[in-house]
Order: sequence, then structure tokens, then C-alpha cells
Amino acid sequence: MKKLIAVRNLRLCTKDCLCLYVCPTGASDTENSIIDTAKCVGCGTCAAACPSGAISMVPVDYPPQQKKAEAVLAPAYALANAKASQEKAARQLAAAAETDGLYRLLTAMARSVRLVNEDLLRESGYMLPQSGNAHALLQSWVENPPSPGFPVEAARRLLELLPNNDAKP
Amino acid sequence: MRYICPICGYIYNEAAEGVPFDSLPDSWGCPLCGAPKLMFEPEAVPEPARPQPAAAPAALDEDLQQLSAGALAALCSNLARGCEKQYKEEEAALFRQIADFYTAAAPAVENPDLDALAALLRADLDSGYPGLTAAAKAEGDRGTQRICVWGEKVTHMLYALLERYQREGEAFLQNTQVWVCSVCGFVYIGDTPPEICPVCKVPAWKFDKIEGRRPA
Repeated sequence: MKKLIAVRNLRLCTKDCLCLYVCPTGASDTENSIIDTAKCVGCGTCAAACPSGAISMVPVDYPPQQKKAEAVLAPAYALANAKASQEKAARQLAAAAETDGLYRLLTAMARSVRLVNEDLLRESGYMLPQSGNAHALLQSWVENPPSPGFPVEAARRLLELLPNNDAKP
Repeated sequence: MRYICPICGYIYNEAAEGVPFDSLPDSWGCPLCGAPKLMFEPEAVPEPARPQPAAAPAALDEDLQQLSAGALAALCSNLARGCEKQYKEEEAALFRQIADFYTAAAPAVENPDLDALAALLRADLDSGYPGLTAAAKAEGDRGTQRICVWGEKVTHMLYALLERYQREGEAFLQNTQVWVCSVCGFVYIGDTPPEICPVCKVPAWKFDKIEGRRPA
């Protein structure tokens, strides 16, 4: 079982194409320039040959994520809920804005607050999609969908696709 | 006297500039990141070490530990980004689907206006971030301290921009662009984005331009 896969950063790639010459399986030669992870065997030859440092080797399995203290999570969750209210208010105000400047400013604010909130929640126990916390949340949605319109199938499929890194072996 | 930009650390040195800080017009902004004059702070004289602020109480109301629909939307769009970084496209799309469900499910804020939005931002600056920073310091949680440093700066800028809009109206947004850093959320007003994000230091191409409404 391979432990690594190669990924290419297109912003760095200078199309020297040495990865195409050295790849034993043709995984690096694709129509969309994204390395074919199914074909990649994780040998690392392409990354070593790449003159622009555009290819890195990333692990297939990720370590358990860092534990977070309850004393940090409580104020973090409260702040996350405050951010959610700000985002919603900014969205509503943007929808009602009658001028172009105000519309763009409030749209930017809604986007900005969402990004800040994503970062906050990432640091509040939800960094890795493969974490035990993410699994527990998905599981709770599958068992008790929050409303009839909730996409239960999406949660069920994610449980199939993502390993639980915090599960006891 | 020297004045420091709280966002990017730019120093306005009165002695070098030859113009007293107080004489600059209110419309003056940080030449690096655009932070308004009102946000600048006089350089602090080093003071003796103060006792650490008390950590936030360990147990808050149970209600506070529950995430709202809007917060769950951000949680899931964050996990979608986590999947994208790992080149897991199918998983990313599924998390986005759940995020979209919660974004639509978030209850409307009653009678929102710019003052109310500014008050929400102010509350984060006055208590939300100081409380979370204190709790993170007490636990030695540097990751949470990092998001407090970034989030507080971004929130400061949003608050300042709302204030400026209320003072100056549409004028300062005409014939120029609004940019959002796609990594930390920093908002910048200008014809082109800054070379590097003053908050999280990513390059200009990580900024997204906010487009106006499409003509109907």
C-alpha cells in the first residue's frame, strides 16, 4: 500500500516536463495537469526530478489532529456563532443594498467573515476532514437528520470515503 | 512621536515625515495596507510586565457550546477546503453541499442595519477575541492564538470600513475595487490588491476581486 502521493502546484510549475519523462506509470501526464492519484505509486521520482519545486509528496494517511481544551472551545464556539450572525446580516444587507459600492463592500464583508469563521472552526477541533470530530458530526447527521431537507446521502457518502484518524486501532 | 498601524505594523514617524500625525486629514490611510488614520496607535513606551489577564471561565452555558446553523455552514465549508487541499474533489463537493444547506438554513437577522452590524463586530473586538486569546494563552494553544491575531486584525478592518462608509458614503468606493484575501479574509480597497496580504502574508494573486451586481 502506497504511503505517499505526488501533487503538483500549477503556480510553480514551469513546464520543464521532466516529471513526464521519469514517471513509471504516466500519472503525471494528464489533460488537466492534476497528477492522477489512482495511477501514482508514490515513488517520489517526479518530485526529485522537478527543477521548479512544483511537485510535493503528501501522505495518504494523516496523523490524529491536535486535541483542544474545553476552556478554549467554549469561547471559540461562542465567537463562531457571533461570526455566523455577522455573515448573515452582511448577506441580507448586501441583498438590500441600492448602490454598487455598498453592495460590493457588504458582499466582501460576508465573504471575509465566512473565511475568518472557517479558520476559527478549523482551530476548534475541525482541522482534518478525517478527524474523529468530523466523523462524529457526520454520524449524528446520518442518525438524526436536522431537518427533512438535509442532504443525508452526502453525510453517508462522506463517512464511507473518509477514514477516521482518531479511531482506536 | 511614532504611530503604528495595528494591521500591518507600518510606522508613521513624525520626525522623518515632517508632518505631525494630528495634522494628517481623516481620510489619510496606511500607505501599505489602507488602514484608516483613526486606527493608528501611538507607539507604546515599554511598560513593566503586567499580570496575565484572567482566563475565561472554564465552563460557560451549555447553549454556548452549540453551534448555530450559520456556524455549521462555516464548519463544513472549512472541511470542504481541507478536502480540496488534499485533492479530494468528491469529498469537497459533498461538504460544500452540506455547507450550502446550512447557509440557507441560517435564520434571518431581524431588521439588520449597518449600525447593528458594526455593533456585532465591536462586541468581538471588545470581548470575543480578548476572551478567546486569554483562554488560548492559559492553555498554551498557539494555533488558537494565531487565528485570534489574524481574525482580530481582519475584524478591526471591517469595523473601520463600515465606519468610513457611514462617514463618507459611496465616494470612497467609486472607481476603485474591493478585494478580499482568500486565505484570511482581509478586505482591501484599491485599484490593485497589495503585493502581499498585510495580515497573513500571502501574495497578491490570493486576493479575490468583489464584482458588482450583474446587470439584470
